[in-house]
Amino acid sequence: MASARYDDGPPLAAHKILIAGGFGSGKTTLVGAISEVRPLRTEEMLTAASVGFDDVSGVSGKTTTTVALDFGRITFGTHVVLYLFGLPGQERFSFMWDELSYGALGAVILADVRRLSDCFPSVNYFERRRVPFVVAVNCFDNAPRYDPEEVRLALDLDPGVPLVLCDAREVSSVKRVLITLVEAIAARRATEKTGTGRTTVTPRM
Amino acid sequence: MPAGDRWRRRDSGPVVRPYAVTGGRTEPVDGEMLDLIAVVVATGRHAKADEPATLTPEHRRILGLCKRQVTVADIAAETALPVGVVRVLLADLMAQGAVAVVRQRPAGQRTGNDVLQEILNGLRAL
Repeated sequence: MASARYDDGPPLAAHKILIAGGFGSGKTTLVGAISEVRPLRTEEMLTAASVGFDDVSGVSGKTTTTVALDFGRITFGTHVVLYLFGLPGQERFSFMWDELSYGALGAVILADVRRLSDCFPSVNYFERRRVPFVVAVNCFDNAPRYDPEEVRLALDLDPGVPLVLCDAREVSSVKRVLITLVEAIAARRATEKTGTGRTTVTPRM
Repeated sequence: MPAGDRWRRRDSGPVVRPYAVTGGRTEPVDGEMLDLIAVVVATGRHAKADEPATLTPEHRRILGLCKRQVTVADIAAETALPVGVVRVLLADLMAQGAVAVVRQRPAGQRTGNDVLQEILNGLRAL
């Protein structure tokens, strides 16, 4: 598509991973721990049209709310960039999830054992959309410790969904969470290849 | 009035109402919605001298950032403009041929195994 460019390097391949979880579950902390730049913040304008792929003809330009969007970036080599987007946790922004999850590699759901139910919406959402995800239990200093298996049961997770304990402040810990996710994506792909050859699903409400 | 970026700090909020810089437009001229991580780049078709007067300072700023391949999200963060505004302004630049889309949509689930491997290797090496 692009012919004459200023920057004639190989096309930049940008990928995104979503960081979901309830309010205060540590999403921004996690992004900040591993991002090569301080977490960037942008305001997403919520015009009806920004939903992007749903039919909004006739209602476009109605809403004018803004919501802050936090994201981080990790560059691999010269042309692969991984973006981590914090999903706005509040229920009322859930329609933004469609836009953000479009084309996402997968998602990390941060869970706080003191408010486990906060991550139910994310679990439901990604299960329904068939977006690969891992659950990362953020081990807050003053939170009670639970057996990961108990958490898994409480969340009624599919056996194929990895559950890891993490400390969202620690690079090494966040790194392990992301590696677990990417490995799970690769593994799931391997099993799906042998399956029915499902075609790509287009996001729909 | 204090110069430079002091008014652009994230906490102070924008100086002008966000959509003032788009002339009140909320939708891109071509109606196409660029993904947050769509990659764009300047084509070099508008060199400094012949930049048309229709370009606002915001357009120029975006054009400057596009000298290297850059994503919509990065432009928004750099310019402190809302993503919706960036989309409108980018569409203007694209309509003039000053900016081209390198990659419209992230590959998502269709990302190749080689790319997954590259990401894995990269993460492990962090």
